[in-house]
Amino acid sequence: MTSHLRTLKWSTWLGWQVESNWANPWLFILYLVVKPVTGSLMLVCMFIAADMAADAAFGRGVPPEFLPYVYVSNACYALVGAVMFGMSSVVIADRESYRMLKYIFISPAEFQTYFLGRGFAKAMEGIGGAIITLLAGLALPGIRNSLNFGNMDVGWLVAYLLVGFVMLWAAGMVLASAMLNMSRSSMFLSEGIAGVIYFLSGVVFPLAILPSWLKPVSVCLPTTYWLEGMRRAILGPPPSGSPLGQSPIAGWSNFELLLAMVVSTLVLVTAAQFFYRWSVGKAWRNGKIEETSGM
Amino acid sequence: MPAAITLFFQAMFARSYARVIWMFRNRTWILQETLLPMLSVAAFAYAYRAMNAPDRFVGYVVLGAAMTAFWFNVLWSMGAHLYWERDSGNLELYIMSPAPMMAILAGMAIGGMATTCTRAVAILVTGILIFDAPITFEHGWLALAIFLLTLVALYGLGMMFASLFLLWGREAWHIVNLLQEPVFLMTGMNFPVKIFLNLPLVIVGGALFIPLTAGMDALRQLLFTGTADRLMAIEYEIAILAGLGVFFLVAARWFLKVLERKAKIEGKLGLRWQ
Repeated sequence: MTSHLRTLKWSTWLGWQVESNWANPWLFILYLVVKPVTGSLMLVCMFIAADMAADAAFGRGVPPEFLPYVYVSNACYALVGAVMFGMSSVVIADRESYRMLKYIFISPAEFQTYFLGRGFAKAMEGIGGAIITLLAGLALPGIRNSLNFGNMDVGWLVAYLLVGFVMLWAAGMVLASAMLNMSRSSMFLSEGIAGVIYFLSGVVFPLAILPSWLKPVSVCLPTTYWLEGMRRAILGPPPSGSPLGQSPIAGWSNFELLLAMVVSTLVLVTAAQFFYRWSVGKAWRNGKIEETSGM
Repeated sequence: MPAAITLFFQAMFARSYARVIWMFRNRTWILQETLLPMLSVAAFAYAYRAMNAPDRFVGYVVLGAAMTAFWFNVLWSMGAHLYWERDSGNLELYIMSPAPMMAILAGMAIGGMATTCTRAVAILVTGILIFDAPITFEHGWLALAIFLLTLVALYGLGMMFASLFLLWGREAWHIVNLLQEPVFLMTGMNFPVKIFLNLPLVIVGGALFIPLTAGMDALRQLLFTGTADRLMAIEYEIAILAGLGVFFLVAARWFLKVLERKAKIEGKLGLRWQ
């Protein structure tokens, strides 16, 4: 246990240094702020443009609850990207760029815990970005009116965050394990998974609008439950009669949602552990842990 | 033909050859470069449909995805490339060889344009077919001319980035990352930049300094909507793109000279991981 904790401590520290020490602290903070905030502002601009055009064309704008929906969703999704894809990119960066992965593998450090620590460092960055994005949203009236911190359900928020972090770690381990046996072009795998999750978890649109054959796939993804839970905990339920309330899981209670998330996360954790052990063994046998592809 | 010009073109074609031939040797790009952008197109297209936006907005998203391919190519395969070449040890060979660095950069740009054009067309066709975006080719030749002008300006910017990112060292990776979402926002990658007209002029001016803004606004007018969502008349946008093209190419040459001078003085151009 002590060995795991030591590895966790130093890999988190290392991850944070890699992420942050390339610039002076102020520039790094600016970097932390600009990227997620502008990503979310793009959705705000899409909402404004659609609202203006829909009003001009059909005489009725976009329901106002769409804006906080996409804004909060996108801020939470940043955490998905940071942890899952941060952990998988560690394999590529350490193996191809810094050429340190083989040394970490043969060192007494716990290999899997090392990835967890690097994921923690990314998570800190992601959580920072998400909080800053949500706070920046307070400057926009459409979001400020919905982001009432008095109505925020802190208990459910903490529960969703805790289970969510385990889910993201497991998903990140699946990706990192896959990367161990792939070349640097495997970054496309990360991007592909990111795209699938962004699309099928209904980050920027309600699931009700998906074609009926895609909805069951969407409901199988733990990230769908997590994002729904985070939105509910932060914003509360959508107004009655809103198109946002027609999602297949909109009628579930918070408890049902958390239960579905726990069950799907347990399945994911079990699969991740089996896949990790198999991948490490295969990578070790085939010399993939030190193989570089000329990055 | 003078030997220097022959050498320039030989180096340029040799560098672009490596990029173009990659398309035929590694066919996985068809999946990676077409399917992946379609996922974000699908997400934004459904978002617009859920918001009950007019159909042309889906076309904007498809066009944005196609142009995003060029922006990524400019950032990763132009801007960050010399930095990667240094990490893999090729940069010293480029510098030592008699081939001018400007030819290497031009070769990277031409090769990148050729491969990315293929991807962009694949994205455009797939997006339009899947989402039934209302596209018109009534002004197809003008649209093609503006598209090429946009590419010249865009890759000029990429050539300038290549030298700058090398000077900035390890920050380059983060700068490339940083130049994604803010640029998507400023250029109106998925929405008409007309909504910026309510903002201070300096923001609109900043947005127009990125060739994608004027280029995509002109293409949206020609391919989808006419003038309904335009930022300004096409004639002005052509002038802006031409000006940016000249400016970025001249700046790229200048920064390359700065880089070479700095390399000679400090002698650490080939030092990795700094």
